Order: sequence, then structure tokens, then C-alpha cells
Amino acid sequence: MKVKVIRSGGFAGLEKHAESDSARDPMLARLVDRVDLGSVPPPGRIPDQFLYEIDIDGDRTTVGEAQLNGPLRELVHHVLGRAR
Amino acid sequence: MRCHIVPPHMLERIARDAGDPALRARARRSLVLSSAQRTERRLFPASPTSPTEDFVPNRTINDAEHGESLPGKTVRKEGDAATGDKVVNQAYDWLGVTFDFYEAAYRRNSIDGAGLKMVSTVHYGEEYDNAFWNGEQMVYGDGDGRLFTDFTGPLDVTGHELTHGVTQYTANLEYYGQSGALNESVSDVFGSLIKQWHLKQTADAADWLIGQGLLAKGVHGVALRSMKEPGTAYDDPQLGKDPQPAHMDHYVKTHSDNGGVHINSGIPNHAFYLAAKAIGGNAWEKAGRVWYETLTKGDLESDADFAGFAAATVAAAKRLYGEGSETTAVQEAWTGVGVSQ
Repeated sequence: MKVKVIRSGGFAGLEKHAESDSARDPMLARLVDRVDLGSVPPPGRIPDQFLYEIDIDGDRTTVGEAQLNGPLRELVHHVLGRAR
Repeated sequence: MRCHIVPPHMLERIARDAGDPALRARARRSLVLSSAQRTERRLFPASPTSPTEDFVPNRTINDAEHGESLPGKTVRKEGDAATGDKVVNQAYDWLGVTFDFYEAAYRRNSIDGAGLKMVSTVHYGEEYDNAFWNGEQMVYGDGDGRLFTDFTGPLDVTGHELTHGVTQYTANLEYYGQSGALNESVSDVFGSLIKQWHLKQTADAADWLIGQGLLAKGVHGVALRSMKEPGTAYDDPQLGKDPQPAHMDHYVKTHSDNGGVHINSGIPNHAFYLAAKAIGGNAWEKAGRVWYETLTKGDLESDADFAGFAAATVAAAKRLYGEGSETTAVQEAWTGVGVSQ
């Protein structure tokens, strides 16, 4: 299982890319299990907010930072945190 | 009069996605109402103001205490003495300068033209590398200290965010694609003009940088964007290279960042710089006046593209300056960035 996250937007407009593979990330599957990409609301058009594009094995969605909560937030921060 | 407790983006979401049809209908009605109110406000200011009336700001600074709930705890209100927190005081002062700029340069009374209360929240999130306008207020992070310093530092960041509010109450440029890049550019233009006005700099003397002082020590760059030379603000192993184009030949097609609003804004940014440079003197007086008229006159479509915005600036220049050198400068600026022939 592979999860890719791209953070775009923000005042600076800088893109941040991160990727994690369950083969090397034992926590990943458990975090993904709790996420339902189908229930994510569309991002609001808030000037300068961060946008997160999330790709879980080809299933994609984009979420604005104001809607990034709960299990999806945990997953996104987990994957972005591993990129550091 | 109704207050907009629920921000428009949330209403849009409810209007589209709520399970309850009655709730969807109510949200749609509120959306129509608030957009009608915006139109009304821009055509008929709430209270007619005399040409000499002194507008007074009404500022509130809140502290999120590194959490993410808004608006946070109120720590300084209008007229209160400075607190012991320099971030709070900086946010308060820069709001004041931005308010004074809009009054002095364009006789605008705050964000909505009718004395709207200005609200900012500082110390938002942990190591939060951003500042934004959420439809009702400004929000600032402290930065992570490695890549970014505190976002209340540079005056043009406050000017940029507050101008998102001005745009919301006027042309209301849709935050996607070319209209979104124009929304971003307008915020950079007035963000830079506020700084130039504060420093009493002419177009020649100004640095035309956005976010100068925001990059932490050791980062290879001078700022986040350059209106004078888009694409040259930074080139750093961690941040990458400034991706902004200065010409339509290099327009970036992407779905990220609402269709590249922070990337392609380089093109209208550079057009403004070219116009201001050609006209000379204080950029907020003539070039800024043309852009302000374009934004606030009420006849710019909210989904305007670069060509539509360019035509509107030329029309505004003609209204203000006839067929003079100012109008020629505006026309040539858009040709210079490849938007018009």
C-alpha cells in the first residue's frame, strides 16, 4: 500500500511532497483503515489556506486545511512527517 | 442586517452537500443574500461619508495560543496599550498602517469600505508556516524558525491578507485558475504598495518583493515573490526554486494550489510593476489608483481572466487619465507580459 501527499497553496505557494509505503511503514495500514476518502468535503476556496492532495493506492482527493480533521489529519501528518 | 457568522465556503458546502434539503435551501438563500449584500455595499456605501471625515480603525488581536481554534483569546482591542507580546503588537500596528493606507490613498474605510472591524489571530498552530484570510479575519502562524520566521513580521504579509478581504467585498475574484491568480496578484500589488507608502518609496526605490524578511537565516533567497523579476525570489535546496513566470509564454498549467494561483500571479504582478515603473513616482498614486478602480468599480466579472482584467485596467486608466501616458503605460505593461498584443 502506498500513500502520497502533496501540500500546496499557503501564502508562500510552496509545494511539499511526501510518500509512504506500508512495506517500510508499519503504522500506515492502520492509519489508512480509519480513513474514508469518500466522506471528505470539497475544499473551500479560502485565500492562502493549505490544500492537501491525498492519494491512497490511486484513490485521490483534495482537502483544505480547515476540513483536515480526525483520522485523515493523522494520516496526512504521519506521511508528511516522514518526509522530513 | 444579518451577520455572516457562517463563512461563505461553509455555506457553499452545506448548500451542495447537506443531507437535509431544507438545510441546503437555507444555505443557498444565505449565499444569495450575502452576495447581494456585497453588491449593494460596493454600489451604495452603508453611510455616505464626507470627503474630510477621519476614518478610525477598530482592531482586535486574538491569541490562538498555538491551537487551531478561531478566533482565540482576545488580547488587545482598539485603543488598548501595547502588551508584552511583540507579535501581538506587530499585528496591531501593521493593521493600523494598512487601514491608514487605504484611507489616505483611496478614501476607503476599512476592508468593506464601511468601517468593518479588523480581526487577527496570532500564534496560530504549532510551527505553522502560513498566514491566511478565512473570509472573516486574518490568521498568522509563528513559522517554524528553520524555513520561515513569524508571519506577522513583514508589513506586506498583513497588507496581502487584508486585501483578500477587500477583494472579497468588491470584485470577489473566484479563487481558482486565472481569476484566482488575479485575486492573489491584487493582494501582492496592494501588499507591496502599503509597504512602499509606509516607507515613502517611489517605484524606482521600492524592492517590489513580497515577504522580504520571512525566510529564516540560512535559506537561500530574498523573499517569496518578486514583482520586478518573478522567478528569482529564492533558490534553495529545501524550498526549491521560485516557480513564478513573468510572461504568458511560461504560464503554468496545474491543478495544484487551486490551479496555480500563487504561481501564475507572477504574470499580473509583473504587469503592475511595468505599469508603475513606466508611470514613475509613487506607485500607489496612479498605477495603484487604476488597479483600485478596476477592483472596486463593480463591473469586473468575478471569473475574470487575465485578458478581461487587462482590458478593465485600460478602461479604468482611460476614465482616470484619458488617452495620456498613464493609459499607454498600462496598455504596454500587459503587452510586455504577453497578455495582450
